[in-house]
Amino acid sequence: MEKIKSLFYQDSLLEKLHEIQSTYGYIPETEIDNLSEKYQLSRANVYGVISFYSMFYTEPTGKYIIRICDSISCHLNESDSVLKAVKSYLDLKSHQTTEDKKFTLEVVECLGHCGEGPVMMVNNKIFTKINKNRALEILNDCM
Amino acid sequence: MIQEKLYLKGDKLLDISNYEFKSIKNALRIGREKTIQKVKDSALKGRGGAGFPTGIKWEMAADIEGKEKFVVCNADEGEPGTFKDRYLLEERPLKVLEGIMLAAYAVGADKAYIYIRGEYSKAIEVFSEIIEAAREKNILDDNLFNSNFKLELKLVRGAGAYVCGDETSLINSIEGKRGRSRIKPPYPIEKGLFNQPTVVNNVESLCCTAEVLNPESDDFSELGIEGSRGTKLLCLSGDLNNPGLYEVEFGQITLAEIIYDLGGGINGNKDLRFVIPGGISTAVIKADDLDFPYSYQAFEKRGSSLGSGAVIAVSKKHDLLDVMLNVSRFYMDETCGTCFPCREGNRQINKILKAFKEEDRKIDTELIADIGNTIRLAARCGLGQSSLNFITSVIKNYGKELKFGGKIYA
Amino acid sequence: MLRAEIDGLNIELEEKTSILDAAKKANINIPTLCYEDGLSIYGGCRLCVVEIEGEDLLKPACATKIEAGMKIKTHSKKVRDLRKNLFELIIATHNIDCQLNCLTCSRASNCELKDIAEDIGLSKMRLDPIKRGDSIDNSSYSIVREPEKCISCNRCIRKCEEVQGIGIFTTANRGPETVVTTFKDRGMGNVECTNCGQCILSCPTGALHELYQKDSVLDILNDESKHVVVQTAPAVRVAISESFSNQAGDISTGQLVTALKRLGFDAVFDTNFAADLTIMEEGTELINRIKSGDRLPLFTSCSPGWIKFIEHFYPEHLDNLSTAKSPQQMFGAVAKSYYAKEAGIAPDDIIVVSVMPCTAKKFESKREEMAGDVDYVLTTRELASIIKSAGIDFLNLEESEYDDLLGVSSGAADIFGTTGGVMEAALRTASELITGEELEKIEFENVRGLEGIKKTEVVIGDLKLRAAVANGLGNARKVMEMIKDGEEFDFIEFMACPGGCMGGGGQPISSDKNVLEKRQQAIYEIDNNKKMRKSHKNPYIKKLYDDYLEKPGSEIAHKLLHTKYKARKI
Repeated sequence: MEKIKSLFYQDSLLEKLHEIQSTYGYIPETEIDNLSEKYQLSRANVYGVISFYSMFYTEPTGKYIIRICDSISCHLNESDSVLKAVKSYLDLKSHQTTEDKKFTLEVVECLGHCGEGPVMMVNNKIFTKINKNRALEILNDCM
Repeated sequence: MIQEKLYLKGDKLLDISNYEFKSIKNALRIGREKTIQKVKDSALKGRGGAGFPTGIKWEMAADIEGKEKFVVCNADEGEPGTFKDRYLLEERPLKVLEGIMLAAYAVGADKAYIYIRGEYSKAIEVFSEIIEAAREKNILDDNLFNSNFKLELKLVRGAGAYVCGDETSLINSIEGKRGRSRIKPPYPIEKGLFNQPTVVNNVESLCCTAEVLNPESDDFSELGIEGSRGTKLLCLSGDLNNPGLYEVEFGQITLAEIIYDLGGGINGNKDLRFVIPGGISTAVIKADDLDFPYSYQAFEKRGSSLGSGAVIAVSKKHDLLDVMLNVSRFYMDETCGTCFPCREGNRQINKILKAFKEEDRKIDTELIADIGNTIRLAARCGLGQSSLNFITSVIKNYGKELKFGGKIYA
Repeated sequence: MLRAEIDGLNIELEEKTSILDAAKKANINIPTLCYEDGLSIYGGCRLCVVEIEGEDLLKPACATKIEAGMKIKTHSKKVRDLRKNLFELIIATHNIDCQLNCLTCSRASNCELKDIAEDIGLSKMRLDPIKRGDSIDNSSYSIVREPEKCISCNRCIRKCEEVQGIGIFTTANRGPETVVTTFKDRGMGNVECTNCGQCILSCPTGALHELYQKDSVLDILNDESKHVVVQTAPAVRVAISESFSNQAGDISTGQLVTALKRLGFDAVFDTNFAADLTIMEEGTELINRIKSGDRLPLFTSCSPGWIKFIEHFYPEHLDNLSTAKSPQQMFGAVAKSYYAKEAGIAPDDIIVVSVMPCTAKKFESKREEMAGDVDYVLTTRELASIIKSAGIDFLNLEESEYDDLLGVSSGAADIFGTTGGVMEAALRTASELITGEELEKIEFENVRGLEGIKKTEVVIGDLKLRAAVANGLGNARKVMEMIKDGEEFDFIEFMACPGGCMGGGGQPISSDKNVLEKRQQAIYEIDNNKKMRKSHKNPYIKKLYDDYLEKPGSEIAHKLLHTKYKARKI
């Protein structure tokens, strides 16, 4: 009897997408072609998966992805004043990237630090208990 | 002074060479059936928010025949106000690992996944190291603890979608698909991951099972009251002086004590208006109704739910409409987009509330009630079904203060 | 025996079906939108939710299996009120405003949303339409997509992926941005769409329809300087009356010809004639390839959806394709050369219009390898629309005959309209050409039927011909994989559409579950009733070769009647 290898041993598509995202800052079309081939999915299907998840992009993003939480707990602690300051400073709306490709801004939902809000993420790093001054300081520190 | 009951909270458990894995060794010693029985006897309920009895879930899964079985640890903590699982993953991952092993052993699975949300980069780093260390020390893979128990564990990172915390969406996500929910039945324990029997457990639930199977003490299983046994990790946030993570024994502390003692009372100069007891999928508890013991049944009696244990205090300084819009926006953005009631219903509610805010348009409360009802009765999954609980309860309790025209929603 | 109760009726079932199917057996119709027979269950629209005693939340009838002892209410007040409220939410995404949207829509007379609104008794609409601002996708030569009318029922996605095995559509994004779209919104014409139009047949609204050429054809009919000829595909005559009568399977050849004459076409010819011609060319090609053993198996080449499919997905097998053009294209080439000569008209003054059950034929007519053969392609639906707008009472027309020169055909040509037909037509001719003897029985039942893949061995003299017939691109892909796995064939008929041309993307959209069986029956009936049933017996085909083409495979035949293919990226 032919032993079929469990699908457990197949590389998870989500993990592959994470790797590509952190290598290129987005998912290039050539990589989508490769994934389409590897997983025997149509390109449209792979695109549907990528576009579902907020952390994957199909177009290049800024060097620093700034995520600021505006869910209820942070909102009650005035995250919107942090947001206003950052939006004004970077001249960006959510999902937009600065022209010099340095920053991409995302207004996100709960990041899981609700007792220490407001919360801001710069790429993988979390900053808690921030106010608008601290937020701008952090942005300035980004080289 | 109210004391916490500390079992899940405690010293860091990061060094695998110093961790004894007492509970899984105990389970291996007493056998599968007795392991499941112990969890059943503890009456442990799932801590993710759904509250399904863990022992019964394990028993049902153990009884099902399958080519292979999977255990999935749901670490996609995304309910606003919740951060308990992050604590457990970052500070006590060995306990989480042990819980996963217990689940796998009990149900007869030799393959497991832990799905950690992508934004939890520290938890991902810590847990990856734990998996690597465990494999090196033969605490994962084959012949574990000198028995024929084997378990392979893989980590999959989520990628920014709240809905993937729902068990069927999570399964779809691990399979490399869009995180949309699946229709139940069939339930995951019959047909889950790759169509095989799958047990999905929350991080906190798994840590609780490690306490239940502790060979040195039966204390944990005896804590709490009937209907709500054990301890609960509370995530306090909002307008509190002492927000943070606390652990309490069910039935031995009131919600008032949680807010005013543990939480240090309301910060700022306005009083408490209401408490959101378990994350934004739960109905509010009014400020004048906090003197009851914290338990699953107390919240159900009040038409609400204990949820994830995310206790959010909202004071009178906040505009109610603004708070409702915040919650509405959350659901509108996070819906997987598959079913019409949830996708369109949440979008329309958001539109209606916005119109009320921006143009002072009269709200047709009958329309909101109709939409809310449609979503609750016909949405495909738990996210959808509970998406209007909060807003509905605010309108019910505070409709007059929002100056709605027409019938007050009842 | 499973016993349950639906709407107070006791029912007994032998197997555990869905509540939806169980209700149907009890003659109860539960409204559905995202559900379609033959596609996987989506369970997204939630219109089919029903009340089950003992449960507060409602359950979808399409996705819930009926259990013994269940007490179900399909139309209680709770359910009816919910369906109405839910429908308001659905309609709000459909962007109807009062710019005559409904009246000018391609589905004005058969929109599923209208039907449901009536069924559930919708009486009010309290929500404003959501304007997403998506622009119309005009990138394809065959199909147009109007995203503002899309309600995200997901049927086109499933049809393209599960039945046709391609998958050019997906659901993208989530939350309020959720849309049905193509890869990175590139547009259908810019991805691996084969133009088969099966998505149009699945779409409940006017979000998908063919690229219209009705106005261009009406304009050209008014141009006195042009000599406009029309050809009609075999599958049109067994379906076009559905647009007038809602009854499937009626043969209306005679009325079709009369209607076309009344519309002012200068000559009314029949694609069937060119089908007989195709058999001559392809039959000869088959015999030659079998003799040489080269480039076998031979693949048929008359389905342009299939051609684009193999060009995208199996370009390494392009050599297996017959080089013969499709009947539509052969007709155009012959009309602008042979017919032009016989009628004494300058080829430049001849306009060829074809009426096809097919949307891919629009793309085929624009292929540069065959530029100029065919000028306009109308789907069956488009012609029905033109006939209506000319005030012609189609069903009551008297019958007429096609014009002779390119209008006489054998029964073998008629069966081109169904899966297995091209194969059978080819076998009727090839058998007689190879053995030199008349066939005792001309029906080849082994290649008939609606099954997705049929494999059979046909004995012709000393030859054992290994034949296969595939309909639907999902099945075409399966056969290609069989070939790659080493299975051997000599001759394969490939049709892009399930059922073959009679199920084409340009046919009237039918709610009759058995529409394909009925159309197929009509096609074989036409064949049975014809005296002349073999392509090589067609005297007008003989005349065409004698007077113009010399013989099958001649140099002039090659120039006019054969073509090339090209590999396409995915």
